[in-house]
Amino acid sequence: MSRPAPVTATATVGPALRAEGIAKAFVSGKVRTQVLDGLTLSIEAGELTLISGPSGCGKSTLLAILSGLQKVDAGRVIALGSELGGLDSRALERFRLLHTGFVFQGFNLFPALTGLEQVELPLHYLGLSGRQARERATQSLDEVGMTPRMHLRPSELSGGEKQRVAIARALAKQPELLFADEPTSALDAANGQTIIDILHRIARTHGTTVLCVSHDPRLIRHADRVLSMEDGRILSDRRPAPPAATPEGTAP
Amino acid sequence: MVALARKTLVYEWRRFLPAILAVGFAGLLQLLQAALVLGIFSSASVYITGSSADLWIGYPGTQSVSLGRPIDPDVEMRLRMDPAVARVEPFYWVDADWRGAHDTGGESVYVTGIDARADGLMFSQALPPALRERLAEPDAVIVDRADVDKLGVTVGDTAVINGHRVRVVGESSGLRALGGVNVVTSLDTARQLDNDPTDLGRPTYLLARLHDPAQADAVAARLRGDKGFGPYDVWTARTFARRSVLYWMLDTGAGAGVVFLAGIVFLVGAVITSQTLMAAVAGSVREYATLNALGVGVGNLRWVVLEQAFWVGAIGLLGATVLGFLLLVAARSQDVPVVLNIPITLLCVVLAMALAAVSGLVAMRSLRRADPASLLR
Repeated sequence: MSRPAPVTATATVGPALRAEGIAKAFVSGKVRTQVLDGLTLSIEAGELTLISGPSGCGKSTLLAILSGLQKVDAGRVIALGSELGGLDSRALERFRLLHTGFVFQGFNLFPALTGLEQVELPLHYLGLSGRQARERATQSLDEVGMTPRMHLRPSELSGGEKQRVAIARALAKQPELLFADEPTSALDAANGQTIIDILHRIARTHGTTVLCVSHDPRLIRHADRVLSMEDGRILSDRRPAPPAATPEGTAP
Repeated sequence: MVALARKTLVYEWRRFLPAILAVGFAGLLQLLQAALVLGIFSSASVYITGSSADLWIGYPGTQSVSLGRPIDPDVEMRLRMDPAVARVEPFYWVDADWRGAHDTGGESVYVTGIDARADGLMFSQALPPALRERLAEPDAVIVDRADVDKLGVTVGDTAVINGHRVRVVGESSGLRALGGVNVVTSLDTARQLDNDPTDLGRPTYLLARLHDPAQADAVAARLRGDKGFGPYDVWTARTFARRSVLYWMLDTGAGAGVVFLAGIVFLVGAVITSQTLMAAVAGSVREYATLNALGVGVGNLRWVVLEQAFWVGAIGLLGATVLGFLLLVAARSQDVPVVLNIPITLLCVVLAMALAAVSGLVAMRSLRRADPASLLR
């Protein structure tokens, strides 16, 4: 994975993700909750974008919609040039298989599989041969620093290590879009810091568009762009000063 | 390919154990039930399967060996005229009344009069030559090991059949009769014991051996047409054996009973297995949802569940086979009639795997809860 960071190159192509006037409401019994209402947003390629806000502000729903896991009530989502609303569930699965990676708050690793197997598993569905899958999985695990422990099962790993395996699993697919939902909130400070560094590095070195939802303030310093949400609207959109980028940006 | 289904099964074997046991015991029950029923009812055809005749000639329409009526002895001439026939011998069946040496009351017995020569066709496989030889002396009879208590005799004792004194000269094994007791004698002794005046020493069956057993069907068809010797019919040994077993199975309603019980076993097994598999799927639902988020199709995930069901079935069957084999050996050693043939065994295997497959299909429904959007809170 020694691809040179094509940050500027991809950035000129335009936004990797674009939401136009999206609305989403949930109905529970007779109560209808409007979570998102006419939200418009562009996410640039090759950046680590952080969406932060209090719980219930609609940030997870926004992530689900931008990643194609949930349909919108109104508006449209364009990801990598495809309009997600126009794809049926099978085509959406295909889109996710080819282009997206996910990291969840719960690590969601299969208890029976070793770290290496967890990472290899989705690769087979991409049509890679056993050898190719093994190579890519090893590479990804190396990138998150899990090589020495890649033959251990989740029960033998710490929380931070599990999350690193989960990141390697998402990363090995070489996705253009990487979605992370509260990736650090189940972790202590040190492990959280490691995860943030890894996510940031992925955006830098692979040119991956990383969209991260979190209320963890530690992440803000590392993000290229921070969107603050409240009540289904974006309150602020800012780019923090980039001290984090230079010292930690890994040379290709 | 990472064998997710298999690795999960091995790692979380405790979770899958109830399903494996359910499939295993369902398979075992089906198998033993079939073996018992086959065993019990195959004794209806032991006269045929324990002999080496290729053709059986008897009264037209006879549905089971035990229901034979006498035929004209001249039919033997007709058989001998056919160049395909190598050998013909008569077989007598006499329903008789037995009184043992000790006070066991009356017992109804089937006297089977056989050609007792060492190379005789009748019971050639059921009775060793040394034992057959002993039938040569007048009024000698052989009873089955399984029946000695019922008859109240041991070897050397005398008893009375239809008013004639007979002497028990040996014990056979595996000649247990259905609905009665077999007593084997020579042809001469059987004629003497038969006090039905209408029988007039006429044989109940004629047994024929062919030069080429492969021709049995053709020869049977050829011999069947001749009406010149009074009523008779010709069956191949295999047809007649089948006919006898089926008669008993259908006549007693055992066939329907077996199917009914097999259905219940299947249902109970499928309920337990599918519930267990569903719980196993539910236990990994977040991981499945994550795979789906990463783009692994629902179809592929279903396949994992089905594969798990397949392994559960295969392991269960393996256990059932080992246990079933031991139980069958134990049953044989205790003279419990058990018989298994390959088609029936295969049928049981297919049923058990179908049970696993149905359970897998039912368990797939749990995957509906593997909605990746639910992972985002």
